[in-house]
Amino acid sequence: MNELEARGLVKQYEMGRSNLVVLHDCDLLIPRGSFTAIMGKSGSGKSTLLHILGALDVPQDGQVFFDGQPIFAPPAQRRHTTGIGDVLSPVERRRIRLRRTAFGFVFQFYHLLPELNVLENVLLARMIGASAWRWLSARAEARRDALAILQRVGLEQRLRHRPAELSGGERQRVAIARALVHRPRVLFADEPTGNLDAEAGANIMQLLHALHREGQTIVMVTHDAQIAQYADRVLRLEHGRLIAPRRGEDATARTTLGPTPPIST
Amino acid sequence: MYKLFLTFRYLRKQLIVHFAIAAVTLCVALVLVQRSVMGGWVEQVKQRARGLLGDVIVDNQSYAGFPLYEEFIGRISAWPEIEQATPVLYTYGLVRISSPGFEMTRPVSVVGIRYGEVIRVNAFEKGLFYEAYYPGTTHLGPQRQPMLGLDPNAAPVPSPMGGLVRPPALPEPYQSALETARRRHQERFGRPLDAPNAVDGPDNTFLREHGLAIIPGEYAFSETDAPELAGEPWPGLIFGRDIVATRQSDGRYKRRFVRGRLATVTLWATSIGGAVDPVPIKQAFRYADDSRTGVYEIDSETVYCDFDLLQGLMGMGPADRIDPQTEQVVGRTPPRCSQIQIKLRPGLDRAAVAALTERLARTYHGLLDDPSIRLDPREQSLVVGVTAVTWEQSQAHIIGPVERERMMVTILFGIMSLVAVALILCILYMVVLQKTRDIGIVKAIGGSSAGVAAIFLLYGAAVGVVGGVLGCALGVLTVVSLNDIQEFLIRLSPALRVWDQSVYSFDSIPSEVNPVELLVILACAVATSMAGSLGAALRAGMMQPVEAIRYE
Ligand SMILES: Nc1ncnc2c1ncn2[C@@H]1O[C@H](COP(=O)(O)OP(=O)(O)O)[C@@H](O)[C@H]1O
Ligand SMILES: [Mg+2]
Repeated sequence: MNELEARGLVKQYEMGRSNLVVLHDCDLLIPRGSFTAIMGKSGSGKSTLLHILGALDVPQDGQVFFDGQPIFAPPAQRRHTTGIGDVLSPVERRRIRLRRTAFGFVFQFYHLLPELNVLENVLLARMIGASAWRWLSARAEARRDALAILQRVGLEQRLRHRPAELSGGERQRVAIARALVHRPRVLFADEPTGNLDAEAGANIMQLLHALHREGQTIVMVTHDAQIAQYADRVLRLEHGRLIAPRRGEDATARTTLGPTPPIST
Repeated sequence: MYKLFLTFRYLRKQLIVHFAIAAVTLCVALVLVQRSVMGGWVEQVKQRARGLLGDVIVDNQSYAGFPLYEEFIGRISAWPEIEQATPVLYTYGLVRISSPGFEMTRPVSVVGIRYGEVIRVNAFEKGLFYEAYYPGTTHLGPQRQPMLGLDPNAAPVPSPMGGLVRPPALPEPYQSALETARRRHQERFGRPLDAPNAVDGPDNTFLREHGLAIIPGEYAFSETDAPELAGEPWPGLIFGRDIVATRQSDGRYKRRFVRGRLATVTLWATSIGGAVDPVPIKQAFRYADDSRTGVYEIDSETVYCDFDLLQGLMGMGPADRIDPQTEQVVGRTPPRCSQIQIKLRPGLDRAAVAALTERLARTYHGLLDDPSIRLDPREQSLVVGVTAVTWEQSQAHIIGPVERERMMVTILFGIMSLVAVALILCILYMVVLQKTRDIGIVKAIGGSSAGVAAIFLLYGAAVGVVGGVLGCALGVLTVVSLNDIQEFLIRLSPALRVWDQSVYSFDSIPSEVNPVELLVILACAVATSMAGSLGAALRAGMMQPVEAIRYE
């Protein structure tokens, strides 16, 4: 059973007269419960692919299916701009809804809101989509979930801290908590350790690995083979396409890592 | 929900927004003060017209006045729309009044009124001082000077200062009138009568110290120690308050003359043709009361006496008509007045008043067709010149320009307030730019474009509400304390007097805020702030999440 299925994705950027083709007829399957790592050189289009899979960006051609349903409108009707009018389009509304219900995103640079404390950053993901009225009744449950997930990532002591008062590793764990608090079907991680030192990075990866073992579908992008080893599938993005890994750096042979280090909290 | 949450979080955390709020505050305060002061001014101009005139004014703008007012009033007083009509006479003269060591002569406008009638036509009675504390004692008929004494019938009472004191009293009917006022005041307000709009004389300071009820106004003390009426009876004269009293900075008046004091008015009679008789006419009066209309021009140069008395003095009363050729008496000349003030029954609408005004003019001019009335050509020409206008029309030449001026200044200030809108636009736009990444994040975790745009609209509205409320508070505070501010400035330097009584013709700066206007201004502040945030909102809505989150 596939959680996500991408077919024939094309993404190009117009750069003056020439076009920069980033994705070219790119196909991909993400089985449910898998932990997929997408590797590639810097600038190869990994982030672009992840954004398209996560319904943040729109490809010029191709389609992504979630639950067998296309995420984007047919290519001819696709809009590449954003605006207030989005609320009028059912496809756009569904795309936005998927982001807050089915997908969770973790970014290289954490992207927490600096004005909000840890708990509020996590709660915001639940608040979005709830009307002020509904929030009154949903608040208690959301808070319980947020506390549980923050405990899971080991930050239950830091609820009132602002992002600026946390280390990089801690911020990334808040970001993971925010991405998970609405129990997404797919967790996307774009170089989640790219900005961390080795130890903090290992911690984050152990956390992701543990989440994967609990059944969380994860799609991660990285340029670091070490990090990719935590995944059970590794794909390479080259020349706008996903290809099988080259011999010698094959990490896909293993579906699990050796003994899993204990997850530090 | 996140919209409200983020709006308020940003409102608190973004320092720069406080500038936008300050701009709104200042603009709102500015417009509110301007509207209130100018609105109050227009209102005062109107009230002056209303308070000193009737609902309808009949006159001919001539110093010679016009005849047939008795006949006219006789005809119209039975009309159901007419509540009261009264003739008024205007002339000029010199008034002279003295107190020991101080005497004063002033050119004044002398107004002849029928006291009993005029108080039913306009608000004249409300502005009287002594009448308020001694109800029923003010009149323009012959009167003597009330002298304050010690009540011969009252037993001495113990004083908080020690010893016994005898309460002072006035002669009748003044004492009873004062008792009545004291009783009514106690019943209505539950506290003893005081004289809030008068400065205490030395006697009242004494009375207060000894726990005795105060005696409002100024009276001379009787030589016999008992209350008495002294001197010859003379007709009463009501002074404009600013002639006989000095306004203090706190708005109270300090009277320079005692009640009942002798005053002399010098007049010059005018013939029907307008020739002024060079022989002055002198008439003695007693200071019966003083009147405040709030219009400085009037209160500083007007005295009021009895209509029929003044008419007689001016030679405008009925007299034998002499045939210039035969030098024989051929009848009587009709008495003349300068103006007829008419009070209408309440509840008439504009159209009804307009129609009635025309009917009044027709009725008056119709008197010429009455065969029983015989006028000579000069008198007839006076009749023809008579018009009837509503009080609004009579003041239109003053009110119209003031209203226009007020509107113009409001528009001007409104345009100035666009600066605040531009400021909000800039500031919110800056916030959006600064928050680009956050907006991308919110969109990435599921916020819609409309939702993000709504944050900034709400933000604008919040700036409007906060700024508007603060501005209203500041504005109201300013308006209420404008007179104090002016007093303070004058104390620094007399050149800093902003509100010149003689220029604006009112003795104080208007200081009332119209609550409806306040709400309208508040609503405008919120609306314009939201308009100012529109650009920022659209920009935030159009932001692509991928662009925003791609980089640190
Ligand atoms: N908005 C854009 N306009 C033009 N070029 C872009 C834009 N976004 C990304 N690119 C280019 O697309 C390529 C792929 O970018 P990205 O997906 O971020 O690569 P990766 O994540 O693998 O480093 C890069 O060369 C980048 O410069
Ligand atoms: Mg990248």
